[in-house]
Amino acid sequence: MTNYKTGQSITRTLLMIFFIILSLFVIYPLVYLVSSSFTPGNSIADIDIKPFAKGFTTAHFTYIFHKTDYKIWFLNTLQVAAVTTVVTMFVTALSAYVFSRFTFPLKKHLLMSLLILQIFPSFVGMIAIYVILLRVGGFDTLWGLELVYIAGNIPYNCWMVKSYLDTIPRSLDEAARIDGASHFLIFRKIIMPVARPIMIFLGITSFTGPWMDFIFPKMILRSADKQTLALGLFSFVTDKKNDFTLFSAGSLLIAIPFVIFFIFTQKAMMMSMGAAAVKE
Amino acid sequence: MAQILPANGSAGEKIKLTSLLFMGLAHILYLKEYLKGILFAAIEIVFICFCPAIVRKIIALITLGSPQLDIPVKMRSNSIFMLIDGILVLSLVVLFIVAYVLSVQSAEKSYKRYCVLKHFPSQKASIESISGTGFPIAGLAPIIVLLLIFVVVPLVFSVAVAFTNYSAPDHIPPAKTVDWVGLANFKDLIGGGSNWSHGFGRIALWTLVWAFLSTFTCYFGGLIIAVMLRESKIKIAPFFRIIYILPYAVPVVITMLVWQNLLNGTFGTVNRTLMAFGLISKPIPWLGSPLLAQATCIIINLWAGFGYFMLLAMGTMTAVSNDLYEAAKIDGASPRQILTSITVPLVMYQTMPQIIMSFTHNINNFGIIFFLTGGNPATADSTTTMAGATDILVTWIYKLTITLLKYNYASVIAVLIFVVIAPFAILSFRSTKSYKEGTV
Repeated sequence: MTNYKTGQSITRTLLMIFFIILSLFVIYPLVYLVSSSFTPGNSIADIDIKPFAKGFTTAHFTYIFHKTDYKIWFLNTLQVAAVTTVVTMFVTALSAYVFSRFTFPLKKHLLMSLLILQIFPSFVGMIAIYVILLRVGGFDTLWGLELVYIAGNIPYNCWMVKSYLDTIPRSLDEAARIDGASHFLIFRKIIMPVARPIMIFLGITSFTGPWMDFIFPKMILRSADKQTLALGLFSFVTDKKNDFTLFSAGSLLIAIPFVIFFIFTQKAMMMSMGAAAVKE
Repeated sequence: MAQILPANGSAGEKIKLTSLLFMGLAHILYLKEYLKGILFAAIEIVFICFCPAIVRKIIALITLGSPQLDIPVKMRSNSIFMLIDGILVLSLVVLFIVAYVLSVQSAEKSYKRYCVLKHFPSQKASIESISGTGFPIAGLAPIIVLLLIFVVVPLVFSVAVAFTNYSAPDHIPPAKTVDWVGLANFKDLIGGGSNWSHGFGRIALWTLVWAFLSTFTCYFGGLIIAVMLRESKIKIAPFFRIIYILPYAVPVVITMLVWQNLLNGTFGTVNRTLMAFGLISKPIPWLGSPLLAQATCIIINLWAGFGYFMLLAMGTMTAVSNDLYEAAKIDGASPRQILTSITVPLVMYQTMPQIIMSFTHNINNFGIIFFLTGGNPATADSTTTMAGATDILVTWIYKLTITLLKYNYASVIAVLIFVVIAPFAILSFRSTKSYKEGTV
């Protein structure tokens, strides 16, 4: 019995060591992200291999706010993310409701084409989107970018929300229909409250998407006052110059809210991912 | 039109022909569904009014304009605008044909109902049925318009461009025109012999290797860590879970650019650290030599991606009903047996659709490659193709479009990617519950 116990505690210690080593590998680049945003100097060559060993400064943050367009990039990205999220949620929910609750001609074809459209990465049509935006005056504007995001995410999101709505019992809305409620009223007062989890998930994914995207802003936005964060941060570490410390400082400000958000939601995410997988 | 419509189905042919003759005519003449008929007729009238313009646009789509070297660049016909307009117009024509078919079907359906009921529905009922179908139409209209303009037309455009010579330096509008060239681009890229087809073969192979290895490593890496965290019964397991999800939480743009700098061959911190510890005597070119750079891409992708699959596996293990474990325990299964013959197979079975989705996602995984290596280092064909050793097809498409302006080749690659990925997507669609139950 004691043998079994020592064996178990040895395995446990070994596992513990493994987990700690893995953790070090995982947080390794993140530690440098934090340390270099507070380290004097510019490029990665100025960073000591011991984090925080070369002094401490907040000059990079001051520089970012006063000498660069960081605030404009941030507000632009925030606007794009917010508008995309609101429109996506409304449009997707409404069409998913129609797909889930109505029978109409060509429904099967429409659903199948949504599925097929979702395969294409949306920048495959990059040149065409560029020309279309030129023609409708949406080139180099934030609303042009927003339209592209909204449209590009419809196929996948529509499927996702529709699948969720399919699991809501029809008896719920049929009862209301018999009482004479209109379609839109049923959608707003009955379906939406029940579908809140998937709508929150949809909101989160649509909101976080634009913060990380690079290709479309790069293609659509040209003027200096229309840049987004991804473009701005990328411009700090191009081939021509390497302002790694500035890049780190700017990135840290974005990464922190993301990390806090994930730490708070990871458990709920895990549960819903598991539940979704098992349901299928 | 006071004649009585026979209710024995004998007028079916007549109804069909009338509704084919002009949209909504049968609704107005025979079926007494006046509002519906007028709406349908209005669609056809609008369409007829635009017919000359439509024909003009379609002719332009076919010819793509002719070279007009004698007039100023600004006034020359722009082949690409012609192509886009033509495709837009074509998609409107398709919509019109769909509406036409629907109007005929609707007329036939109304007649069948009349044959059963022996009388027409009241005007009020017929208007109500229009508002009933109005809701789905209004609900779908925004997405259909958006999808048509920003997704369908661009995709059809891409496919079309694959059959043209739209590329720098000789065929960039408005100064020059673009022409249809048939399968010439496909021949250039997969025909063999040139730098282009050599580059394409190399990149396509690496894309598949990359997609397979990165899916495989992330999935099993995540699964193993999830099982270990669960079985170890360590008290601070949730703490490790939070640490391991961090790479997934921070945007890829940020983490990959950080890695790129850390792994820099000459002044990156990774090499400097290893040298300070005396583990290596000279810098390792992590991103500088082709094979090593590819391996680095896989490892860094594992760093970025295993957390997601760990969460997925843990969630699935929690969601699997406890009854199963209880039953196995009662039957005398050891913890190891439960793990290897119940938990792991079950998790793998449940997450199969995610594996397929992850594979297709990795084929198109632009962010990791573009920000980590930018496709570098260069190889033998890089001077012509711009594609480096770690470039995958999508990052190459980006370079072909943005830097080289070889739109024709970029489109061919996009078409080929689609041909490869589509079966996977349809496969994962068929494994969903709603498809199996036939409710779609």
